[in-house]
Amino acid sequence: MKNFKKKIALLAALACAGTMLAGCNSDDTTSDDASADATTAAADNSGAAEETTTMNAEEQAAANEAAAVELADDGDKLTILCWTGADLDNMIPLFCEEKGYSADQVTWVQVGTSGGEAREQYQQYLAGDEDADILILEADWILGYLNDQYTVPLSSLGIDASAYSEAYPYTVAIGTDENGILRGASWQAAAGGYVYRTDLAEQYLGVTSPEQMQEKIGDWDKFQEAAKTVSEASGGKTAMTATLGGMWQVYQANRTQPWVKDNKLVLDNAENFLDIAKTFRDNKYETGVTQWSDAWFAVGQDDSTMGYFFSTWCLAKGAQLEQAEGGEGGATYGKYNICVGPSNYFWGGSWLAPSAKCDNKTMAADFINFFTTNKDTMQKYAEKSGDFVNNKAAMQAIVDAGSNSNALLGGQDQFAVLIDAAAGINMDGLITAYDSSIKDSFNNAVTKYVDGEYATKEDALNGFQDDVATKYPDLNWD
Amino acid sequence: MQSLRPNGRKSISYAKYGYLFILPFFIVYVFFMIYPLINTFRLSFFGNGNANADTFVGLQNFKYILVGGSRPAKAIHEEFIRSLKNTVILWVGNFIPQIILSLLLAVWFTDSRVKVKGTGFFKVVMYMPNIITATSVCGLFLILFGNSKYGAVNAMLLDMGTIAEPFKFVNTVTSSRVIVMFIQTWMWFGNTMILLMSGIMGIDLSLFEAASIDGASSGQVFFKITLPLLKPIFLYVLITSMIGGLQMFDIPYLFHEGSGASAIQTHLETAAVFVYKHFHLIDPNYGYSAAASVLLFFITGILGLLVYRFNTSSDDRAAAKSNKKKSKHAGLL
Repeated sequence: MKNFKKKIALLAALACAGTMLAGCNSDDTTSDDASADATTAAADNSGAAEETTTMNAEEQAAANEAAAVELADDGDKLTILCWTGADLDNMIPLFCEEKGYSADQVTWVQVGTSGGEAREQYQQYLAGDEDADILILEADWILGYLNDQYTVPLSSLGIDASAYSEAYPYTVAIGTDENGILRGASWQAAAGGYVYRTDLAEQYLGVTSPEQMQEKIGDWDKFQEAAKTVSEASGGKTAMTATLGGMWQVYQANRTQPWVKDNKLVLDNAENFLDIAKTFRDNKYETGVTQWSDAWFAVGQDDSTMGYFFSTWCLAKGAQLEQAEGGEGGATYGKYNICVGPSNYFWGGSWLAPSAKCDNKTMAADFINFFTTNKDTMQKYAEKSGDFVNNKAAMQAIVDAGSNSNALLGGQDQFAVLIDAAAGINMDGLITAYDSSIKDSFNNAVTKYVDGEYATKEDALNGFQDDVATKYPDLNWD
Repeated sequence: MQSLRPNGRKSISYAKYGYLFILPFFIVYVFFMIYPLINTFRLSFFGNGNANADTFVGLQNFKYILVGGSRPAKAIHEEFIRSLKNTVILWVGNFIPQIILSLLLAVWFTDSRVKVKGTGFFKVVMYMPNIITATSVCGLFLILFGNSKYGAVNAMLLDMGTIAEPFKFVNTVTSSRVIVMFIQTWMWFGNTMILLMSGIMGIDLSLFEAASIDGASSGQVFFKITLPLLKPIFLYVLITSMIGGLQMFDIPYLFHEGSGASAIQTHLETAAVFVYKHFHLIDPNYGYSAAASVLLFFITGILGLLVYRFNTSSDDRAAAKSNKKKSKHAGLL
């Protein structure tokens, strides 16, 4: 009997082990077929993006026209999938008010709490029966969704590509699929700048205006020089920038090639950045905190950092800058100013794409037009929310009127600073479906290199490539 | 039996109701356990990345993981071996202190001579960490041992002047492993202690009495009576803990700063984390994940059998055999 019990116990134990296998398997059936086509299509995108630019406007218009899909128009509610409900809470009331819809005709569904989660969970959501008319997508992984499986061309809603003549060109490039068909449009232009402490800048660099600051940090050499001055003047107490991750976001804007070209990983300027990162870490020109962590916000209030690299959406009320200032009445509230910084760059942004399941054609078209093609309504939204909208004319009008004053920046108008930077962003042929994964690997390799876990730059580059190799074994690795 | 009923009516069988009652369980079990289990085996023979998820590749995944080869294969091989090594290090590092602590406490709490007061209270308090979700525990320790000067421990040490620079508790290999081992020990020693206590309390009290009448020291009682008689429970604890250890996932997976699959600490990446990580990439590697799960399944099975064999003496096995024979014989009669 005793032995029998033992055997039962062993069996039970092995059964437990068995269940371990089960856990690994929960959602493959929902997502493998679905995403298979998505990434195959996206895989050879780098070439396709170039193709897009070579197509002339007429051909493109014709291709867009031909790709249009017939959509139903009998849905009861316009449903938007997103991971940033707060944005939509700002957008929907304005849309309903202006267009005469009642508030309960438009709704949003929060799928995941971050872009990464949304990327994963959209597939599962869309595999189900629930309604989805518009998807909100992020630049890093948008290509996986710009195909017939998930989205329809904007022309299906009667929105012509020519409607985006006033949009910032890079947003149109990102919203275009590998066949040159426009499937998504961004309502934001997420240009970024260097947001710095005015009091510290005056104390350590002797600058009194954003223009003077821009002079001091206009390119990477100057930026490093300024970092050295600040560090020496403050006795090593104040770093130039909060994180290397933020710096990389800016630095990668200098890339001239996509991450994956001809099915091969392209390092481009990655190696140079490792040098810069090491210099910044070793000399304490950066604080060493982790991007988006609590400590990352804390360094904004205790003189640990001169500034952050912030994109437009970080500067809205309640967003990252306000948190870094400690909120209203915080230690450094309103003590920041913005200038362009060493490079033009963009960070994030949200694209609206009509879902393949869209059954509210008219309303979806209204919504997308309202936020991406109509200058007047976009301007209204920008004025209301502080978002940098994706329309040159609207932004120019706001800047010309001089009406925008951001309390977080001590009353400065961030639009005036970023309007040129936004126009200067060029992402033609630089976006691939691999971007978010590869960036993730690279940022990690940088962290390990500056922390000393990788002894040499070669180790770091090797480790980075190994990490990408395990993620994408099918790239050409010879 | 039927011959007893001359009218030919068969007895009513209630067995089918029994089957009906347990049917829901089996349906759920087949859908959520058996099917995924079989599918995992199936997936381990298929390709990686979304594009190749339906390509049959034979034993390639196993070959890559176990042997290596070209760059991606070598990288995956190294990653898997590293993850196994991490698993063993983390498991041994939490099992040894855990079993010592639990055994000590279990013996104290059950000893009729020591008579610890408020054992109920201590049992509850010591079991408590096991009730808190791993996520919360990990979040708590990440706040305590944060990398930056804002981490509680760093802030304290900096204030006292023990260190001049914040110490990267989370990113440093040794410190992060020790913290994870500590968390695992702290979370599970209460559970193990209760298991061992129930084992000790199951030992016939007259043995302890006889020992104390014969003048045995408490050391002798422990080594000559408690330990040998505790063996079955001890074996159970060892095997379940080993299986749990091989599947160790939550704390090692959560204990990092930063976001994204690459932010998971390489020196904390256990085999289960390996499986999860490759399963949740943007372009998921189902093949690698499934193959690693299958390997882990066999490793667990083999280790379980080995431990079981080592800990049951040949006498036990012989006794078991003869028991079986006897019962067979009896059955024939």
